[in-house]
Amino acid sequence: MHDIASNLNFIDLNVWNISFLFVVGFIGGLVSGFIGSGGAFVLTPGMMSLGVPGTIAVASNMCHKFPKAMVGAYKRWKYGQVDIKLGLVMAASAGGGVQVGIKIQEWILEKWGQSGSNLYVSLSFVVILVVVGGYVFYDAMKASKGSGEDKAGALAKWLQSINLPPMMHFKTANVRISMWFTIPIGFATGLMAATIAVGGFIGVPGMIYGLGAGGLVSSATELVIAFVMGFFGTIKWAMHGQVDIRLTLIILAGSLLGVQLGAIGTTCVKESMIKFVMGTIMIIVAVSRGLAIPQYLTELKLISVGESTLSFLSSASFIIMCIALGVGSFIILGAMYKAKRAEALAKKVEFSVEYGKV
Amino acid sequence: MMNFKNNRGKGGNSGDGNSISPGPGVSGQGDGSSAASNNRHEVKRKILVVGKTFAFTNGVIDYALNLSQRLGYDIIAMNVNPALAQTGKFFSPYNQHLRGKFTDRARLAWSPVESELASQGIHGEHVVKFESLVGAIKDLNHAIKRIDFVITDAGIKDEEITGEIPLPVFSISGYQGEQIMANEQHENAGRSKLLGKTIGLGLGVAALYAAVFINSDTVMKYFTKGGIYAALPIVTVFAISFVHGAFASNLWSLLGIEATKKVQPRVAPTRPAQRKRPRPQIHLNA
Repeated sequence: MHDIASNLNFIDLNVWNISFLFVVGFIGGLVSGFIGSGGAFVLTPGMMSLGVPGTIAVASNMCHKFPKAMVGAYKRWKYGQVDIKLGLVMAASAGGGVQVGIKIQEWILEKWGQSGSNLYVSLSFVVILVVVGGYVFYDAMKASKGSGEDKAGALAKWLQSINLPPMMHFKTANVRISMWFTIPIGFATGLMAATIAVGGFIGVPGMIYGLGAGGLVSSATELVIAFVMGFFGTIKWAMHGQVDIRLTLIILAGSLLGVQLGAIGTTCVKESMIKFVMGTIMIIVAVSRGLAIPQYLTELKLISVGESTLSFLSSASFIIMCIALGVGSFIILGAMYKAKRAEALAKKVEFSVEYGKV
Repeated sequence: MMNFKNNRGKGGNSGDGNSISPGPGVSGQGDGSSAASNNRHEVKRKILVVGKTFAFTNGVIDYALNLSQRLGYDIIAMNVNPALAQTGKFFSPYNQHLRGKFTDRARLAWSPVESELASQGIHGEHVVKFESLVGAIKDLNHAIKRIDFVITDAGIKDEEITGEIPLPVFSISGYQGEQIMANEQHENAGRSKLLGKTIGLGLGVAALYAAVFINSDTVMKYFTKGGIYAALPIVTVFAISFVHGAFASNLWSLLGIEATKKVQPRVAPTRPAQRKRPRPQIHLNA
């Protein structure tokens, strides 16, 4: 046990910092509650832009992430959307993925320094988000033209048909599949969480297209995985004294409001909307991270870009990342508003019919 | 189920309490019925249906329709709201506003019923009154002749219909009518409880946050010590999440933002299964 606080720079809080963290926390929570992940990739760089050192930003973010995921998971469990068994099974292999992800990060950091590490993270963002996000978006557009209901894709159906013991039955997800197929998806989720801080961008599409769980159940179950990973990650960071509880609590104040609103939102939109929001956010974030790559290439002396251009790209990257969250929350709130209006109108009609009926 | 109760007069009894068909003893009007029946529209006998909410239950409308078809009667429907009666000398604009709202809702609810009656060849009239129940029935009986008997909707207790009304009164005590009134009262009571809970939880959250931020120097000193002190931030966020989580949930409910009904709740529903609408029946008291 050692006093680390004196070596670390804990920022002073002012009205601007507090408001910024609260608002971003709220929007991050909203998106999280809706698609099962999100917020972290804005919060960590967001905190760093306020002057918070990187490790404290990651630690404080993680310390807010697991209680937010817990509240969101509970709310969606009440709606019958969470498959706890699936979440825990995936979390077990995600734990392994996190450890491997950390080891890879440490190796790259050792070999190529901070710039190399940042380049690796950004490239991972771009590749995964473009490929997976693009497919999720395309699938959402296809589904919205139909009934909007989730049907298991060809890959999931094929995997489910393979009888490789031990077979596991997940009641809420309505999936019967070999445990062996849950491992790579869980592992990749953990790996991504350790690399880009958002495991759900692999976890949720993995559950949808790999295991055949619907969008609602996948995004809800992801919150269970996020809780488990966040909890154990926080223990590790807190033992090193890296958690700034003030930042955590301010973000939590906003995100606990947002996550429940997002969870409520899932009950009043078509299932394909979840994929649509997820795909949209992923593509915009991919653009954002893509704009940050020239800086790291320049630092590694692989290309040469002017200082002012880099500065512009850096600001653009951050702004576009905020736009990603903003667009996501705008779509969610817009869809909820439309659905509530339609519900109110239907109630009015039902009321006149019911009370006027003979 | 319909209770057959005849609350006719102070000292009177119904005489022929077993019959609901009109006879001299029941109608009490005593005019020449043969001449009256030639001019059906003017002198057609009437059933008065009375309710205290702005809409009548299906049970009472069904029953009144049945009776009027069998007896060839017209129907007058009266929505009475004694709570909005003008009391005292002072005119209340707010009460006036509420009366307007009640009247509008009552008319809206009556409109489809009137159409349905018309399609069955039954003439239906509609009245809205803001006075005591007994007063309203007496006034209407005085103004409109040929009301033979009254059917009261669910929510009107027997003791509200005193002996001052010179007409037979039958009361409907169906499941639906009571349910509507019970639901409305329950909703209002539930909302104030929710508001109280939300405020309480909000204060709890504020207190917890204040405790951390007012003592932020001490908190930061211990919470970043590492090692076993790692439990401090973790326990703190758990505690705050429980209180704040409950507060946030109640807040959204209070603001009317809730899951849509199509969601199947994990908790087993405590309401009994929806019963079929009971067919109104007369049970005669022996």
